Amino acid sequence: MAPPSDASQPRLAAGCRWGGTEEDRVILFPEGAIKLQGTGRQVLERCDGQRTFGEIIAELQKQFDAADPAKVRSDISVFLEQLQKKRIVDY
Amino acid sequence: MLSNPLALIAEVTHRCPLHCVYCSNPLELAGTPSELSTEEWTNVFQQCGKLGMLHAHFTGGEPLARTDLAELISAARAAGLYTNLITSGIGLNEERLQALVDAGLDHIQISFQDSREQAANWIAGAKAHTHKIELARAIRRQVGEKKIAFTVNLVVHRQNLDHLEEMIGFIEQLHPERVEIAHTQYYGWALANRAALLPTRAQLEKAVAIVAEAEKRLAGRIRIDSVVPDYYAKYPKACMGGWGRRLMLINPAGKVLPCHAAEVLPGLSFENVREKTLGWIWQESSSFRRFRGEDWMPEPCRSCDRRTEDFGGCRCQAFLLAGDATVTDPACSLAPSHGIVESAVREANADAAVAQPAPASSFVQLQNANTELWSYRTNPE
Repeated sequence: MAPPSDASQPRLAAGCRWGGTEEDRVILFPEGAIKLQGTGRQVLERCDGQRTFGEIIAELQKQFDAADPAKVRSDISVFLEQLQKKRIVDY
Repeated sequence: MLSNPLALIAEVTHRCPLHCVYCSNPLELAGTPSELSTEEWTNVFQQCGKLGMLHAHFTGGEPLARTDLAELISAARAAGLYTNLITSGIGLNEERLQALVDAGLDHIQISFQDSREQAANWIAGAKAHTHKIELARAIRRQVGEKKIAFTVNLVVHRQNLDHLEEMIGFIEQLHPERVEIAHTQYYGWALANRAALLPTRAQLEKAVAIVAEAEKRLAGRIRIDSVVPDYYAKYPKACMGGWGRRLMLINPAGKVLPCHAAEVLPGLSFENVREKTLGWIWQESSSFRRFRGEDWMPEPCRSCDRRTEDFGGCRCQAFLLAGDATVTDPACSLAPSHGIVESAVREANADAAVAQPAPASSFVQLQNANTELWSYRTNPE
């Protein structure tokens, strides 16, 4: 599988969903859970199956405007690709 | 400080239409009249939610044998738990599947015994294989807003490892998100049938290579989780992630255990949810405290660097093989009793013969034809 393309619409995979409390949000998936804080949470909250990968990148590049935009893009791409391999995210 | 348990394993019944020779249920099964009621399970799930537990794994026996399964799933979901159904699929059709999904089921895990029908039914002691395939297709035909996750569970052993590649190819066609390739673990019925199930070293080495290749090939499509057999490992498995550290299991009669097999351990008494709260059992009960932490550890565990990784291995295996629950797991190459495992492995490699599936028209016939090879799991009273 390739990294997400700009037109793809990342979303949580079948049977994966948000849980936990507002302060302590987790993604629940078969046999496990990941606690999400900071950037990871901001990325996944945007993976709603509506926004495209390109839009998610643009939003976060704007939000983290002190960071190198190319690095923001590559970090998010790697993050989503890893979750895709774990079958937690689809795109 | 003691953290909260993460997940509940809910053995909602020990009744099962299958008779798998590697079943991990205890030889002494909980009888049907003793099963917890719908209200009692509902109360359990509410307690789990309050304790901050995240997952409820519905297992058995065959959970579908409970006619109130949809209610139980809905109660667990209402308590904030992620719901996982571990099933043979017998007792499930498209309509009931939809009812479970509507009740809040998140994930379904179906076991396959083999890729070949006759061999699969031979292991299961029941004609189940064709139905499972139909069900897997129904899961993937699912329409509507909510789609559940689908895992195929494949238990591997001496009788099927020689065609592991074919089995993985078969599973690929069922399009699950995940496949769990689990080597048989020797407890309950599997221990009684170990001689027919323990693979040879050659089988195992070939299997490891096949799984590694499949992981690469299927990356991004199907995630493979594999469990290696501890008889061939250098160090023991971190059984249940440590005694009383992550999980609680409740058997059909309400007995609360730290793992599937703990009831075999002598000198321990286990509390019942009918009498005590889960929180109390987790924190205070002598059974959950007995092997928690490091105080109970003997040498070589006590001074071993790995004691925080594998927690001394499995207490039940120590008792079942070495006759003493307080010694290092005999699967560990450092254990004084490791010779017990080594001799089982030696025997498994002395004779590389693999049996042939026996055709039969009924379970009784199957049982009779295989008395020399193994005993099938029976059903509770």
